[in-house]
Amino acid sequence: MKHLSLILIAAAVALCLSWQAQAAGVKVIANSSVSASTISAGDVKDVFLLDKDSLGGSHVEPVLTKGGPAHEAFLKEYLGKSDSVLQAFYRSLVFTGKASMPKTLGSDAEVVAYVAKTKGAVGYVSGDASTSGVKTLEVK
Amino acid sequence: MFHKRNAMALLAVFAISMVLHAQDFKLGSRTVQMHGFASQGFAYSNDNNFLTMNTSSGSPAFTEGALNLSMAVTDKFRVGGQGYARKIGSLDDGRPALDWAYGDYKFAPWFGVRGGKVKTAIGLYNDTQDMAFLYTWALLPQGVYPTDLRSTLIAHTGGDVYGRINLKKAGKLDYTGYYGLRSVDDREGYTYFSAQNGINVDSMHGRTEGWDLRWATAIKGLTLGTSWANLTMHRNLNYVGGPYTGFYYTVDSRPDRAWVGYGNYSVQKWEFSAEYRSYNDLEYIHFLAIPFNMPLNQSTEAWFSSATYRITPKIQVGVYHSNVHYDNPANKTDSAANHIYDEVGTVRYDLNSHWDVKAEGHFMDGYGDIDSEQGFYAQWNPKGLKPKTDMLVLRTSYNF
Repeated sequence: MKHLSLILIAAAVALCLSWQAQAAGVKVIANSSVSASTISAGDVKDVFLLDKDSLGGSHVEPVLTKGGPAHEAFLKEYLGKSDSVLQAFYRSLVFTGKASMPKTLGSDAEVVAYVAKTKGAVGYVSGDASTSGVKTLEVK
Repeated sequence: MFHKRNAMALLAVFAISMVLHAQDFKLGSRTVQMHGFASQGFAYSNDNNFLTMNTSSGSPAFTEGALNLSMAVTDKFRVGGQGYARKIGSLDDGRPALDWAYGDYKFAPWFGVRGGKVKTAIGLYNDTQDMAFLYTWALLPQGVYPTDLRSTLIAHTGGDVYGRINLKKAGKLDYTGYYGLRSVDDREGYTYFSAQNGINVDSMHGRTEGWDLRWATAIKGLTLGTSWANLTMHRNLNYVGGPYTGFYYTVDSRPDRAWVGYGNYSVQKWEFSAEYRSYNDLEYIHFLAIPFNMPLNQSTEAWFSSATYRITPKIQVGVYHSNVHYDNPANKTDSAANHIYDEVGTVRYDLNSHWDVKAEGHFMDGYGDIDSEQGFYAQWNPKGLKPKTDMLVLRTSYNF
């Protein structure tokens, strides 16, 4: 009985952690001017590493979130870089004139609002964030 | 000479940058971005004075900063420029100078052009060597990235062609080809090395052409690359001391060639880097009163290897070995005059995403010879050079 209680508690904890992980998943969103409705994981990486500036013939620009679970999940899942490495990468381009620093905003709501009003903007938000006014790109 | 007003100006830039943030402002319908950085260091060595600083007494003459503006004029065309100033011992004197300024048109991901004053793509860090905030180190490996010879290779005024070629499963290949004119700062290693030999440098100018290939391989985290540069330089000099006082002569490097191989591997919290450089300089020395050119061939090899580890999101540690060896037949044995080896250990702490502090220990063996123009100079070591130098470097940088 004691062991069964421990197993049930462990299962409940595992379920909670799993729910947390899903809630911290991300959605890739884009301004309505972006013609693509799907995007490959490789293209997500290329857009945010400034290797690719068009999707389906539409010019795109990345928008990032400053910290938080969605930002960390996005870095881990799509870019394979820590935030410090990513910022160093952007700065190496900015301080040699090769690129502009991508827009970075403080919350999901700010990212959605900016992507909604900015032609070509592509960003990411938490899996459960409201995406009213923007399109969600299916990542294949 | 240590110009206090220039040092104060640099320190003011440093202080001001601490309260500035990256700025965006509109120019018509386009956004202009402003970014900058400032860095202040302190160096203390046991005996020999290094990089024209009085490090044996402890030297805070170690300041640099930059400010840039850039704008995407269209989706394919960018313009921008950066001003830079530094005061490191007697290397430069805090005079603001144009660091880079160019227009960049990207026709396609695989082909673009740049025109103006452009940072030169050589090796792992040549075009970003001033940006201490990008690296674990307070000083980049001096054998490969000598602070006192910065202007020799840092930039050219001309043009680049560049692009990225998708190799599918084999990764991606970045290429850069360049040609341009170059000028050498008159307050750097070559001038001070000449002065210690009783020689005044009237002028120096030349050109450079070369290429760089950088391969992001199919192995995650592994980048390999190679660079080649053909450098020419014309120098007008005259003796101001010793038995040849009054003699005028020229030195033409035709060519001074550099070949570079490098690699970088990042895995989890580790990063490993290595770079090798081989220089071969064929010089023609012409005394104006004598109708023939005297050839002189010199070669130098330099390399470094490094490892860093991120202990926490805020703390990173690293070690490197830097090695530069001068091929001078006058020094046949492996004496302190033939090389500078440097064993380094560093700790970096990030106070936040914009501000870092570093503590770094250097354990140097050798000081290079009378024909080497980096590291140690007689003017700053009048009592002669000891074979070994231990040095502590503290450095803080702020970027926005």
